[in-house]
Amino acid sequence: MKVSYNWLKDFVDIEDGAEEVAKRLTAAGFEVEELECQNEHLHDVYVGKILKIERHPAADKLVVCQVDVGEKRVQIITSATNVFEGAMVPVSLEGADLVNGVKIKPTNFRGVKSDGMFCSGEELGVDENYIEGGSVNGILILSESFVAGQKIEDALMLNDVVFDINVTPNRPDCNSVIGIAREICAIYGKKFKDFAVDYKTVAGDVKDFVSVEVKTENCPRYIASYIKNIKLERSPLWIRSRLHAVGIKPINTMVDITNYILVEQGQPMHAFDYKYLDGKKIVVRQAKKGEKISVLNGQTYDLDEGVMVIADQNKPVVIAGVIGGVNSCIEKETTETVFECAVFDLKSVRLTAKKYGLRTDSSARYEKGVNVNSPTLAIKRALHLVDKLGCGEIVEGLIDECQQPLGEEKKLEISYAKVMKILGLDISKEKVAEILNDLGIKTAIMGDTLLCVPPILREDIKNDNDIAEEVIRIFGYDVYNNVEGRLFENSAITVGQYEPRLVMENGFKNILVDNGFYETLNYSLYSASACDKLMLSEEDSRRNVIKIANPISEDLSTARTVMAHALLLDIAYNLSVGNKDLRFFEVGKVYQPKSLPLTELPVENNRLSIAVCENGYDFFELKGVLENLLLTTSLKYSLRRSTEPYLHSGIGADIVAEDGVIVGWFGKVHKSVLKNYDISQDVFYAEIDTDYLSKLEEKKYSTKEISKYPVVERDIAVVVDEKVCNADLISAIKSGCGKIFYDVSLFDVYRSDALGENKKSMAYKIMFMSEEKTLTSEEINAVVNKVLKGLEFRFGAKLR
Amino acid sequence: MKQKLESILAEGLKEIESSQDLKELDNARVKYLGKTGELTQILRGMKDVPAENRKEVGSLANVVRENLERSLSQKLADLENVQLLAEMEKEKVDITEPSKGIKRGALHPLTRFNNKFIDLCVEMGFTVIQTPEIETDYRNFEALNVPKNHPARDMQDSFYITDNILMRTHTSPAQVWAMETMKPPFKIVCPGRVYRNDDDSSHSPIFNQFEALVIDENIGLKDFMIMVKEMAVRLYGKDVKMRVRPAFFPFTEPSIEIDATCQMCQGKGCSLCKGTGFSEFFGGGIVNPAILEMSGIDSKKYSGFAFGPGIDRSVMVTNKIPNIKYLFRNDMKFLKQMR
Repeated sequence: MKVSYNWLKDFVDIEDGAEEVAKRLTAAGFEVEELECQNEHLHDVYVGKILKIERHPAADKLVVCQVDVGEKRVQIITSATNVFEGAMVPVSLEGADLVNGVKIKPTNFRGVKSDGMFCSGEELGVDENYIEGGSVNGILILSESFVAGQKIEDALMLNDVVFDINVTPNRPDCNSVIGIAREICAIYGKKFKDFAVDYKTVAGDVKDFVSVEVKTENCPRYIASYIKNIKLERSPLWIRSRLHAVGIKPINTMVDITNYILVEQGQPMHAFDYKYLDGKKIVVRQAKKGEKISVLNGQTYDLDEGVMVIADQNKPVVIAGVIGGVNSCIEKETTETVFECAVFDLKSVRLTAKKYGLRTDSSARYEKGVNVNSPTLAIKRALHLVDKLGCGEIVEGLIDECQQPLGEEKKLEISYAKVMKILGLDISKEKVAEILNDLGIKTAIMGDTLLCVPPILREDIKNDNDIAEEVIRIFGYDVYNNVEGRLFENSAITVGQYEPRLVMENGFKNILVDNGFYETLNYSLYSASACDKLMLSEEDSRRNVIKIANPISEDLSTARTVMAHALLLDIAYNLSVGNKDLRFFEVGKVYQPKSLPLTELPVENNRLSIAVCENGYDFFELKGVLENLLLTTSLKYSLRRSTEPYLHSGIGADIVAEDGVIVGWFGKVHKSVLKNYDISQDVFYAEIDTDYLSKLEEKKYSTKEISKYPVVERDIAVVVDEKVCNADLISAIKSGCGKIFYDVSLFDVYRSDALGENKKSMAYKIMFMSEEKTLTSEEINAVVNKVLKGLEFRFGAKLR
Repeated sequence: MKQKLESILAEGLKEIESSQDLKELDNARVKYLGKTGELTQILRGMKDVPAENRKEVGSLANVVRENLERSLSQKLADLENVQLLAEMEKEKVDITEPSKGIKRGALHPLTRFNNKFIDLCVEMGFTVIQTPEIETDYRNFEALNVPKNHPARDMQDSFYITDNILMRTHTSPAQVWAMETMKPPFKIVCPGRVYRNDDDSSHSPIFNQFEALVIDENIGLKDFMIMVKEMAVRLYGKDVKMRVRPAFFPFTEPSIEIDATCQMCQGKGCSLCKGTGFSEFFGGGIVNPAILEMSGIDSKKYSGFAFGPGIDRSVMVTNKIPNIKYLFRNDMKFLKQMR
């Protein structure tokens, strides 16, 4: 919120400069995000009086002016045609640095010297709304009331400093000049200077002119007053100056007064043209379906029951708290007005503003919450200004439709000890009371209790914690900057615990990193088209996706159900920028709805996903990585050919746990899928369910006694049909070896024409060991023969 | 005889000493100690030596033999060593040639930071928990003192799924989970992803936070600050400086924002910290008693503090990452720098 420094000075005597005030406000919880000095580009610009104008001897389009700028006379050459002798004009002299970037220095125009330049309104940063002649194409001609030699920033009242303050949502009372002024009073220990609310009225009764009926619960309070014989003219410069400072366009006296009250009191107001109020009636109600309203921004909106309006007898005239209708607004011919000073429910205003995408100064204020007591003084302050400016006759009386109790002060019993416990500090009771009283929280010390009465506008103060915050923000948070003491000396010992899944995932991550993998992070939201790209079938349950109702873009519209998409995109991106040999992994979640649309929270399943795109990499290397990962768990599993749609139908395996659950899969990515990602190299992909794995028991180890006798090796090679698989051969070898089996491994697979079509030679190294004796050749040969016979019998295997 | 032995010793030693290689050395051995070697012959001829001299000559002959053998084995070792040195010289490699085997990859910097922070918390007695990313409006907002249509909701633009379910906008719902399911006193920390409907050059719609909550009987702001200071020292080193500012969070009261020495410039002032030398570290405060009550904890008995650092920025400064978007771009040129 923008607040004018000059305006603040109406309510508090400040000696510090604006920068210091900004620092103190920030330290007390009102962060000043920006300080804007209005006069930044106005130095070395003065009011000048043109004494004499002569033609330039050498240039037809230029004139040479003698100008009185107070202490001295200067000569200015101009091409502007709206200047005349006797005119008061802004003159920028050497050193001036105007808002449009022009820097002034004396110049020679065809042999004649010019000491500076006359300025237009634009060059001073003002327009017609601010000052007459401000938007004229030419020089800003000032009225004769200005005095030659005056600094222009003083003459035009552009010498303010504007604070842009971030007011937190718990302090709606501070979205006003008086609110911030009260804070400054507390910070500096100053007294708040009360503002005038007195005004003269003319005889009559407001009730004879207008009636108010509130027919909705969204309007806790509505005050109306009636003003006749209004004079709509330019407001005095001091009002314009203040509105201009905070970025509000001055319009005319009545509208300016409502805006002035909005900024100063934090109370939005509205002024109706009385003659357009049918039935001389104001009805606050919810709109009816089918009603329409054309409003001041040029738009027409369809209304419905969710929208609160101010209506007359027949039609809506204002979208309550948001924007006025063109059918009743103040215009040049307006002679009588009704002032509205009301409180609307913040939720209602917020929903309406959101619905129409309309955010006005008024709605922004209402959305933050206007206290029901706020209009009491605000309306009087507004009428005081009407009176002061002499711009209308105020008819006696106010209509005050109020549906809530007013002015009830809360009395809080605060425990001084508790406040100190919350802060962990030792501040005397007297000091605490002093701070609170400075903040307007009337505080009395009663033994160990503080009796506190917060101002009625401070709805945020309810308990010990709130009081503790009030105390510390004025006392100063910097006491904590260099805090010393023992860690958790006031608390019980708790034993720290890791989360088992995170621990397991970290173990996996470290193994993968050692194997040359890089960890990636991808968004867990993606485009729903991921399922198509990965060729999931129409029946695939992963097509039941959770959609974001208000996504930023299609690319972030869907909670992911598949991990592979992100890593394939990463690979495609990296290949496109010339990176090679890609080994990636990521740990993340997929989100599986229990039903759609969501009625309960979905299942969030954690996955480890791995992708490799590297020359010469193959299925078995990836298999090795997975075996090593799973070796750290107690998982007992078997492999089954995978039916994962994005994997190669022949080069892919599912990891199946003993209970039948598929806990992961790995393989070569389907060529057509790669095409969908514009990847022209082979990619290998794996995924495992870390939730499942983390629920397994911890792996337990047990060892057998080590045999004293040596291990003996024998190699065999057998020719079998292609369809015979290694696992079956191995298990047959194992069982054939019986008690003396120690280990077996496949060390070569060989195919050739000589072996015949669909045949392969499988070479195994078998290791034997006995726990009782050294094995003899004869014993081993006998076992090997038995194994070979078994293989021949079961698989038709021939010794090669 | 005595003379002869002495001359054998002298010549033998000389010959052994002057051998240039193993072959010459072996020749020398054969010449003196071989089957027909000079010394061997003398030893064999001992029986011809007169008995009265035999003992003297015999012991001399043995001394000569021992000396020669000792010298021989010494020389053998020397020559072998010379030969090995020569061989090694030949086998010399270019040590600047590249290494073999699998080159290590790297953890994402966010994981490294996370792990460090989690370790720190666990050491301090926190239990690590994980709560859902898709959350109810109740736990994300209402139970944290942000009712529907409250202006505080403007601070966090949400991704909604239904009217009552959304992508969590902060990790703070973890507080609610903890308070609903755990019995005080406890300390929890919840790392995780959060989602905001906000995407520009300095914001990412998905980012990472920690949520930590301590509930106990005598907890105050000073305890909170002592802990934060300890965390900052462990993360950033003992020279770290802190700065406390007032803040507003609906679920804490009082609320504070704590800045720590900017790790990008070590406090000298840079564009990231806008010249202040400080950057945002933690936000948090004393748990609002209303929140405790809402989740069924007796606020008269218990108090606590909650804090939630956003970590993406800390990851950026501690790794001197110039652009927040790098964190999710997964470019190998970036990731390789994290090895």
